[in-house]
Amino acid sequence: MNEPLLVFREIEKSFSGSQILCGVDLSLYPGKCILLSGKNGVGKTILLKIIAGLEIPDLAKIEISGKTNSWEKAVRSVRKEIIYLHQHPIMFSSTVESNVAYGLRFASLNRKQRRESVDEALEWAGLTDVAKKQAKTLSGGVQQRVAFTRAWILKPKVLLLDEPMANMDHESREQTYQLLVRMKSAGMSLVITSHFMQYFEGIVDQHFQLKNGALELKSKS
Amino acid sequence: MNGLLLTTQQALQLLFTGDPELWSIVLLSFSVSLKAILLTTPFAFLVSFALSHGKFPGIRIILAIFNSLLSVPTVVIGLFLYVLLTRQGPFGDLRLLFTQTAMIIGQMILCFPTLVALGYAAIQAADRRVWETARTLGAPPWFSMLTVFFEVRFALLAAVLTGFGRIISEIGISMMIGGNIMGYTRNITTAIAMETSKGEFAQGIALGLVLLLLSFLLTALLSYLQGHKEFAA
Repeated sequence: MNEPLLVFREIEKSFSGSQILCGVDLSLYPGKCILLSGKNGVGKTILLKIIAGLEIPDLAKIEISGKTNSWEKAVRSVRKEIIYLHQHPIMFSSTVESNVAYGLRFASLNRKQRRESVDEALEWAGLTDVAKKQAKTLSGGVQQRVAFTRAWILKPKVLLLDEPMANMDHESREQTYQLLVRMKSAGMSLVITSHFMQYFEGIVDQHFQLKNGALELKSKS
Repeated sequence: MNGLLLTTQQALQLLFTGDPELWSIVLLSFSVSLKAILLTTPFAFLVSFALSHGKFPGIRIILAIFNSLLSVPTVVIGLFLYVLLTRQGPFGDLRLLFTQTAMIIGQMILCFPTLVALGYAAIQAADRRVWETARTLGAPPWFSMLTVFFEVRFALLAAVLTGFGRIISEIGISMMIGGNIMGYTRNITTAIAMETSKGEFAQGIALGLVLLLLSFLLTALLSYLQGHKEFAA
């Protein structure tokens, strides 16, 4: 494997005296996909949120280009490179194209460049037909694609997906899978939590199981 | 009965002929209460947001204090401010007693707990994922907060309307620290009290009708917003 993009070390987290994560280590590589499995409530979502900078760990370290920093010190810069997608994505009260354009407000692009990026992203995800529709009125599968596109447009280095295919029909799963393949091919590092290994067989490079607060390597390709 | 009909007729006449004294009182009331609500709302919602999304000790105690302040009598706030603003008081040198500024300060204190408590309830009802999605998509904290506000805008607007309804209909503060000075601090409620005590009911009824109309309008608007909130959910 190449040099890792980011290495998270010794992640610890407890709630009300109960230790959820006990020194988890995880290395993220460009263009690679990690699958995290484990029972409900074992801490998969918490782990992803800590990596995304949305949850504060009790302890964690982040290694970037061989240099190790505390989570608190490194999280601000790391957060810019990572996007976390919820199991059931939330749509803002606006159109699909406004949702997709949301994160671009904070990128240094002018109005024309933003417009072009949004059009390109909508086409990439096959969402051009619903661009003007209110995002909240769309089906769960289409909302998931909007969420993917909203993340993809920002070109993050790492994408964290929490149960991305939960409650999807076969067609939506197939469309979502194709988007994941394209994201991986574009060099994004993917971390997916799921109970369903079979949905991701073609793209997963490493499969870890989260058990008793630690990651256990189940398979590697 | 005839007397009541006659007085109501006179009241309507005052309203529809554009009686300058009556309408100046109405305008003053709206001017003072609008300034109070506009000045209070941003800070109150910031506090609501901090209580909702912050992680610091004592949040429950602070919330309990705000909830208990919801029903504080207006005369108590009026008395409290009077003691502070009177010539012999700690802020007497500011010469704010019997001014519109004092009325605005009093009404701000009155509506602040209402806005914080209702704002907190509205923000709490918003899905935590809104904040997390905004943050993960690169929005800075202040913009993420505005995104959350936008998602619960109808509930927040309902909080503002409730707060406005509370302050425009209060009398204790306006009477005690406004002083009911004609053309300067006389508002709808103090004018109604004064006209009634003089036995001149026509202007009192006319002003009462304005307050009633306002109350109906606010209720209708709140019902409309409630419908929107349910739709959005």
